[in-house]
Amino acid sequence: MRPDLVRFAHWLARDRAIAEDIVQEALLRAWRSREALKDPSAARAWLLTIVRREHARLYERKRLELVSLDEVMETQASPQPAEPDGNLFALRHAIMRLPIEYREPLLLQVVGGLSTEEIARELALSGTAVLTRLFRARNKLRVICGLTPAPDGAPDAAVAGRESTP
Amino acid sequence: MNCDEARLLIGADPGVTTTALEEHLRGCAACAGFHRETRALDADIRRALEHPPDLARSRAAVRPPAWRQWALAASVALAAFVALGVWVLRPSDTLAREVVAHVQSEPESWLATEHVTAAGIEHALRGAGVQLAITSERIRYAQSCWFRGHYVPHLVLETARGQVTVLLLRHEHVSARRAFHEAGMSGVIVPAERGSIAVLARGGGDIDDIARAMQRDVRWLPGNP
Repeated sequence: MRPDLVRFAHWLARDRAIAEDIVQEALLRAWRSREALKDPSAARAWLLTIVRREHARLYERKRLELVSLDEVMETQASPQPAEPDGNLFALRHAIMRLPIEYREPLLLQVVGGLSTEEIARELALSGTAVLTRLFRARNKLRVICGLTPAPDGAPDAAVAGRESTP
Repeated sequence: MNCDEARLLIGADPGVTTTALEEHLRGCAACAGFHRETRALDADIRRALEHPPDLARSRAAVRPPAWRQWALAASVALAAFVALGVWVLRPSDTLAREVVAHVQSEPESWLATEHVTAAGIEHALRGAGVQLAITSERIRYAQSCWFRGHYVPHLVLETARGQVTVLLLRHEHVSARRAFHEAGMSGVIVPAERGSIAVLARGGGDIDDIARAMQRDVRWLPGNP
């Protein structure tokens, strides 16, 4: 479970060292408040929630150095030698570039294994808003992979602002 | 279910299966194609998410702005300068440190405003084997203090730069001048005809001239008191 948490934090924070710190702190908090976990089968979602909050708290606590992703991408203009698939290379960096409102639900779904309903609860959004964000995230990645984007008929309001879960 | 609804569902979660969606896909070749594409894309997304890019490595490759390099160089130079200053001004050895500690242990020595009587000076110098060519009006404090196994004269003199403490250390030999700065005091220990002389002043400033004057004004008597 810990590797998944680190991976999740790494994609959120976009920095391995910070991700390790976040997970360490999150696990410490989880241990201290372990009594709060009533249903052991919900442990995964519970830990992801703590990691997310710890990530947010980290940015509240201190202003981290911001790195221009454009600058970073320029330095990685070609895949690393160990990277056999240029498409994956482009995809990884496209995911990194996704705005947090699209990246986060995608990570919760793919890395965290959460359902749409669980993501909606986690992000305090309506189910429709979550579907829209996930759809748009994948639509952006389609373009990177040379696929035709699907027509975006999703309601903008669902993305523009946070909505309470119905 | 229409095509927009189907594509929204597929795009949001390519693994989702509902009766309505399956029914729509059976009757819509375009959406079925979209479904296949999106599932293949999702497999790639899952593979991509297995390994986040190592931005730390990239950051190392990003050339920092020129001002940051200058700031780094300046901070390194400043750190070196501070370290050098600490090294130069450190108490040169335990002798200096003990001199400072002794003076700190007698804070009242700095407070005397009246000059010491001749009898008081004589008492302070008794057994130390020294004579002073200094007028008693300049001496504000004079005690014979136990220091490193011997009684040594501890004097406070009124000088042009304020009060200065002098310890006459017949039994402590130094080969060269040692300057130090500690606990808000500047000090110097200089070799003397017999032993050494420690001079301390509160705050900074040059006290070498006072140390030289003491080398001249202290007369060391022969013998081993």
